[in-house]
Amino acid sequence: MTIWKLRNNNPLRKSYVTNNIKLNEFDALIKITVEMSKYLYPYIREILKSKEDIEENSVIWDDFNKRFIELIKERFNIDSMRVKKLLNQAENDEIIVKSLLILSFCISNQGYQKLKNFLYDF
Amino acid sequence: MIQNKLSFHQSSASLEIIGLPDYSNNEIKDQISIISQWKLTIADKPLIEGKIEHLGPIMNAFYIYSNLLIKNEIPIYESKLIDIKAENLHIHNILLKSSKPNVKPLVLKIGNSLLSDTINCFDQLNESPKVRIKKTDIPIKIAKKLRFGLNKNVKFFNFFIPPFIAICSLILFSSSFIYFYSPFENIEKKELISPE
Repeated sequence: MTIWKLRNNNPLRKSYVTNNIKLNEFDALIKITVEMSKYLYPYIREILKSKEDIEENSVIWDDFNKRFIELIKERFNIDSMRVKKLLNQAENDEIIVKSLLILSFCISNQGYQKLKNFLYDF
Repeated sequence: MIQNKLSFHQSSASLEIIGLPDYSNNEIKDQISIISQWKLTIADKPLIEGKIEHLGPIMNAFYIYSNLLIKNEIPIYESKLIDIKAENLHIHNILLKSSKPNVKPLVLKIGNSLLSDTINCFDQLNESPKVRIKKTDIPIKIAKKLRFGLNKNVKFFNFFIPPFIAICSLILFSSSFIYFYSPFENIEKKELISPE
């Protein structure tokens, strides 16, 4: 329930609530993200790999991109310019690749600290 | 003396470290502190191996490059030992230069998946309690305060340099129109006014 509420702190969501996220809640979300990345690493890797070979048909990438867009349309405020950028298939490749790379670089035991550093640098 | 061997695996990449414990430092026999050899195996790519002094710079190169890649900066890393450049969003070109003369550099093309496998192998090595290596200056080790300090310096320069250049160029431009005092001209004028 708490995690569900925390998701609404994302200003891109339709159900955005202007609650300031606390530091311990921010840390908790990072820990969850890192643990999920560890668990999902084989899938993340396959999505990245499917786009590497231009000659091969990138079915996994296309499926992921399709689902990504579906979820954004369903849950995010599509009137926002930033969300429109995420939905634009010509532009969102770079955003998706970089997000997946960040997750794949943070699966070690120090992944929590690494992800935190990446986020502070943004 | 039998050398210790430790391997770190991540999907299609594996890193092997061979060496000995430092008995003078009362280390246990499973420990590796004196690295004699290392091998990085990436699936379908030639074997990368080298001396201990090459391991640190190569790990550094991968860490710095991966940071540049995700921070929206130009992903290029160049050094005496290794160059890494992005061919496109998904492929990276690695050029490994041999320290031996007359040995051609090794060129590797790896995708994002192999890049993350390699980075994760290096992470496992860094975190392993059984291997003690001279810690590399990887970005994760930079203290948060120092990092922000560096960013502030960059922002400070970005903020002040454009107006500073503007003022300099204004001074240079306007200096060409400065009227210099000429005493001979003044004497001539005076003579014209009073012809006595």
